[in-house]
Amino acid sequence: MEAPNKEAMLSLAEKAVDKALRSGASEAEAYVYVGEGTNIGIERGQVTKSSKVIDNGIGVRVILDKRIGFAYTNIMEEASAAEVVSKALCAAKANKPDPEWHELPGTGAYSQVEKTYDPRIPELKPEALMKDALLMLEAAINVDKRVLPVEGGIGAAYAATAVYNSNGVSCFDKGTVAECSVATIAKDGNNVTPVCFEFSGERLYAVNPAWVGKEAAKVALSALQNKKVETKNGKLIISQFALQELLYYTFFNALKADSVQREQSPLKGKKGEIVASEKVTFLDHGLLEGGLRSAVFDAEGVPHQKTTIIEKGILRDFLYDNYTARKENRESTGNASRSGYMSTPAIEVTNFCVQPGNCTPDQMISEVDDGLLVYYLQGAHSSNPVNGDFSVVATPAWQIRHGEIVHSTRGVMLSGNVFELLKNIIGIANNCRQVGQLVAPWVEVENVRVIGHV
Amino acid sequence: MRTELFNSYTVNSEKLWKAENTLYAFEELLDQATQQFGAEYVEIRAQQLSKTTITMKEGRAETAKQGIEQGVALRVLLDGAWGFASAGSFDIQVLSRIMQDACKMAKATSSSLKTPIKLAHVKTYEDKVKIKTAKNPAKIPIGEKIDTLCRINKRVLGYDKRLKSCTVEYLDVTGTSYFFSSEGARIEQDKIAVWSKITASAVQNGVFTFSREEVGSTDGFEVFDGDKPEVLGEKIAKRAVEQLEAKAPKGGLYPVVLGPNVVGVLMHEAFGHLSEADLTLSSGLLLGAIGKKIASNLVTCYDDGTINGAFGSFKYDDEGVPAQKTPLIKEGVVAGLMHNRETAMKFGVAPTGNARAEDFHVEPIIRMRNTFMEPRDCSLEELLEEVKQGYYFKTFIGGQANLDGTFQVGIQEGYEIVKGKLGKPVRYASISGNTLETLFKVEAVGRDFELSPGRCGKGQTAFVCDGGPHIRVKEMLVGGSSK
Repeated sequence: MEAPNKEAMLSLAEKAVDKALRSGASEAEAYVYVGEGTNIGIERGQVTKSSKVIDNGIGVRVILDKRIGFAYTNIMEEASAAEVVSKALCAAKANKPDPEWHELPGTGAYSQVEKTYDPRIPELKPEALMKDALLMLEAAINVDKRVLPVEGGIGAAYAATAVYNSNGVSCFDKGTVAECSVATIAKDGNNVTPVCFEFSGERLYAVNPAWVGKEAAKVALSALQNKKVETKNGKLIISQFALQELLYYTFFNALKADSVQREQSPLKGKKGEIVASEKVTFLDHGLLEGGLRSAVFDAEGVPHQKTTIIEKGILRDFLYDNYTARKENRESTGNASRSGYMSTPAIEVTNFCVQPGNCTPDQMISEVDDGLLVYYLQGAHSSNPVNGDFSVVATPAWQIRHGEIVHSTRGVMLSGNVFELLKNIIGIANNCRQVGQLVAPWVEVENVRVIGHV
Repeated sequence: MRTELFNSYTVNSEKLWKAENTLYAFEELLDQATQQFGAEYVEIRAQQLSKTTITMKEGRAETAKQGIEQGVALRVLLDGAWGFASAGSFDIQVLSRIMQDACKMAKATSSSLKTPIKLAHVKTYEDKVKIKTAKNPAKIPIGEKIDTLCRINKRVLGYDKRLKSCTVEYLDVTGTSYFFSSEGARIEQDKIAVWSKITASAVQNGVFTFSREEVGSTDGFEVFDGDKPEVLGEKIAKRAVEQLEAKAPKGGLYPVVLGPNVVGVLMHEAFGHLSEADLTLSSGLLLGAIGKKIASNLVTCYDDGTINGAFGSFKYDDEGVPAQKTPLIKEGVVAGLMHNRETAMKFGVAPTGNARAEDFHVEPIIRMRNTFMEPRDCSLEELLEEVKQGYYFKTFIGGQANLDGTFQVGIQEGYEIVKGKLGKPVRYASISGNTLETLFKVEAVGRDFELSPGRCGKGQTAFVCDGGPHIRVKEMLVGGSSK
């Protein structure tokens, strides 16, 4: 891999913006992305494939009398950038004016963010990744012969972004990420477990493949022995994987200013009110040291920041990008996000942090008389994104009785509403880790509808 | 201005493909991999696509976007291992460098391989697939597309005061893809897809509801002909409003009648994924199951890539294999699996044309196309009248499969069934079960039929259709929060 070139990226962005202004745009913004990643893939117990993906591109947003147009290309040449500008202008001319449009963001005061770039990653050889992939695979297989690592891999990537606009923003940031993961099942005759999963993701090359392999295998193995559970209202301990899925599909939308302004959020008008148990404090922290979603600035070049969302159960703020912030005559919280150069900015959480409590996971389990430990959810994406209703399958999950895990269970359904669930949180453990956008420990909730098979 | 837009695409495509040296370069790349590195098999997939994306919120076009995506994917099989590389470039020097990378990586991977990968033999094709549509989306001015989407929005928000928001997402893809293999395949295929997703929400006394519908076709912009935008808008709005009165269902085991939209996703999630041969090998649930009874006699199911205009249709897959109509279940008996060349070799069968890659950034994997249950003879009334207390689930919002056969389907529109008649609406139920148990419980199959477009995620996104008739299932686990 080659390290990204700051000057070249900013210069391309600047040229595109200049061209847009000269062609009649009232405002313009260019977003330039350069990324490269190497991956080693595991399928059914062996390393079978490796890949290298280079992805570069430029996206240009132009505003013409409050009409917005956007175009992108993955050809990183000056001529293509010029073509993109004219396409963006075409799109803007065809669009209708947006009376709510104010202006692109101006320049802000950027803070440093630590441990987001590892110079070793652009230099990393596929052989090093291969060695770690094999380490992960062996660690899984060595746990028990009945475990099959069905899928997984290890990858390392770097990405650099530059944002330049006609309102003074000119910024560049680069980052790296390394991830390894493995999905396992355990098989004993006709008894096949649901898929279990473990993962390690770091901004520096500090993943722990042996731990991932071993844990994923241990979880699958413990899911072999299973019994049905009964239908009732019960207690749950929700692990990070399950919590991430649930919050992403039912709760994060309600925090976005766009949803609030468009009357799609049950949290509208509830700032300062109690919306969750007093144990709950949520922060959105775009500058978190080593955070998977940490960066100096957001997708519009607005500085990342730390925003308190819920403090001891009380709703404090929502998440804003430039557009929704200007609508309310306030500052953006730096939550504009893009999935690469192809997309326009949209509001997204950065690192969504759940303030940890004091108890260890073991203590949490030991205090549950009757409940389920939920690791993975199936179907969280089919939840109601507006009102927070969910009806999902927890599979596998583990039955806790008298403070101990007694057996696993499959196909149990959990039904409820996320806003009620947040009020029913009775415990927060201290084992924080990051999964996707979520940085959280285990969370204990009560009074959730559990639909079993007996 | 509008013609300008169209012309710019033409100019662009000429710039690339008149350069015959690009095609010549592909031949050289194939030689480089086979002769210099000793690759057993090499494929080059090149794409040159234009996309228009529009996002409209309450009639305001938040995004009107035009994109060019072009690039090359190289895949080599060397000493039994795969190497893959991709770049958004047609520069021969870049491609030659990443071809080296792909070969070296495959070589490194092969060192640890216990079971080398082999590919089933296939006939190779030299073909140019031209798609003729009445309304090629590339030729429709973006302003006209925006106006069409405005009509959907207008009908949704005009339906009832309680409707508060409406998001219309639109995407069209046009362009060409190329497939070159070291075995002699030289395929050029037109690509056309039109997709739209409309979501709306309604609010009343603190109750929020949500409704969603998708449109998707490999025909052109005809999907929005006539009053189709208004019909679509009304359907979505009506559902969101009805849901305001809906109550949570009771959780537990109930007889259910499922609409074509839910039957489609059930076949896709509960059975389809397990019969994608790569997942069959992983889970083992359907290993050796060909010829075995897995469902009630009433169940016949196909995965068909040849339905004209359907969202999951194409002529050749991304390994150069022609799409076909693949039987999965015939009268309750497992009839076949979905294969790429690698799994076809393992199973000793012919590939079924199910290898699909989302774009040049990723390698082809086994994906469904248009998956459906065949209709039989019951009317909806006949299906309902046998149910004393149960649910009718008409449309879904999402579904997910697990390798142990557990499936989940979230329902957006459902009703109680009381004494054979439809009752009150229920909100946000979901159904779950295990495939191997559930398909035996299909006790009646309707005579109607409908395919719905959707997008399936399996690491990559694939355009698919799912469908079938109405059916009745004797007993299914219904997830609901009511006691």
